Amino acid sequence: MHQQAQLRLKKDEVEKLGAAAFVVLPTDLFHAKVFTEENLLLGNGTGPFSKEISLVYATPLCDPAGSAAAMYGVSRKCLRWQSWVENEPSWFVIDKKGILTFAMQPTFATPTSYVDDVDKVLAELKKASE
Amino acid sequence: MKRDAAHLIAVALAAATVLVTLSEASAQPPASPLERFRQLEFSPAEENFYKAGWQDRVATEFDVINHAELGALRTALKDEDPLVRSIAARALGIRGDKDSADVLAELASLDSQYMVRIRAVEALALLKLKPEAIEAARKDKHLAVQWSANIVVRQAASEIDDAAVLRKAFAAGIKREAMGSAKVGQPAPDFSALTLDGKSFKLSNVLGKKPIAIYFAAFDG
Repeated sequence: MHQQAQLRLKKDEVEKLGAAAFVVLPTDLFHAKVFTEENLLLGNGTGPFSKEISLVYATPLCDPAGSAAAMYGVSRKCLRWQSWVENEPSWFVIDKKGILTFAMQPTFATPTSYVDDVDKVLAELKKASE
Repeated sequence: MKRDAAHLIAVALAAATVLVTLSEASAQPPASPLERFRQLEFSPAEENFYKAGWQDRVATEFDVINHAELGALRTALKDEDPLVRSIAARALGIRGDKDSADVLAELASLDSQYMVRIRAVEALALLKLKPEAIEAARKDKHLAVQWSANIVVRQAASEIDDAAVLRKAFAAGIKREAMGSAKVGQPAPDFSALTLDGKSFKLSNVLGKKPIAIYFAAFDG
């Protein structure tokens, strides 16, 4: 979850491509709103996202029953409080023709470190826009 | 000759016995959704499904939430298996079963497993009942319960009827063949979701029009 927030660092480039970006939250509506509108996870930290109002970059979508996640084969493998993990995969890129061109499991490390996965996503978005 | 006849009769009797047994077996009612959930394999360390069998888990969760009998779900709140207690609490919250509120409040404070306490608190928030139990959970000994309670205490007081949102989403069902159908190099499957103001969204509204990046978040509490 933290990792998609890093896409905001590339916000200008995403917009330049005319791309749509979505974050699908496998929660009920209230939780989706809270996670979108409040920086609960990193707001108390000192990392690059501690001052952000929200962790969710892009258009948030609520997937209450997890149907969309299941369709994309995403296993919601999230250990509570024991260690942070992400879905496998988490990122998907779809080109202008509607073809799924890229799926990636993040190499998520820590909530505040920069990971170059967002660069890979951006590179795939560029290809997808051609 | 007599011996052959006796042998034939014995074989016929054995075959008949097998047929009767098979017939009785096929006449057994199918296992209930909760029983099928109980039979799922869960990794002991992981909260959620991982690789093999995840489709079974998803399908069974849908089935429990949509079809398990209310009486069976209420009984399952006292089940010895914490995973069964958890799914029962979740299902009863989604189903809006106000009669289970007292037991859910008891679980929220007394269950030995923090996961069950979380599900009980979440269910009470969906029911919008027992605010005192949710409030008490904010001081639970486990941080994860405190975290959940701190969010759902506001959910319980909000005007959003998330039980109805969840019921509708689960009632839509999920086809087993659709699970995991997204494959690189193939057309991206369409899906439905909700925008934050509760409106319906379909990926097909933007599919084929612009490049799209989707991130599936792993939040589950």
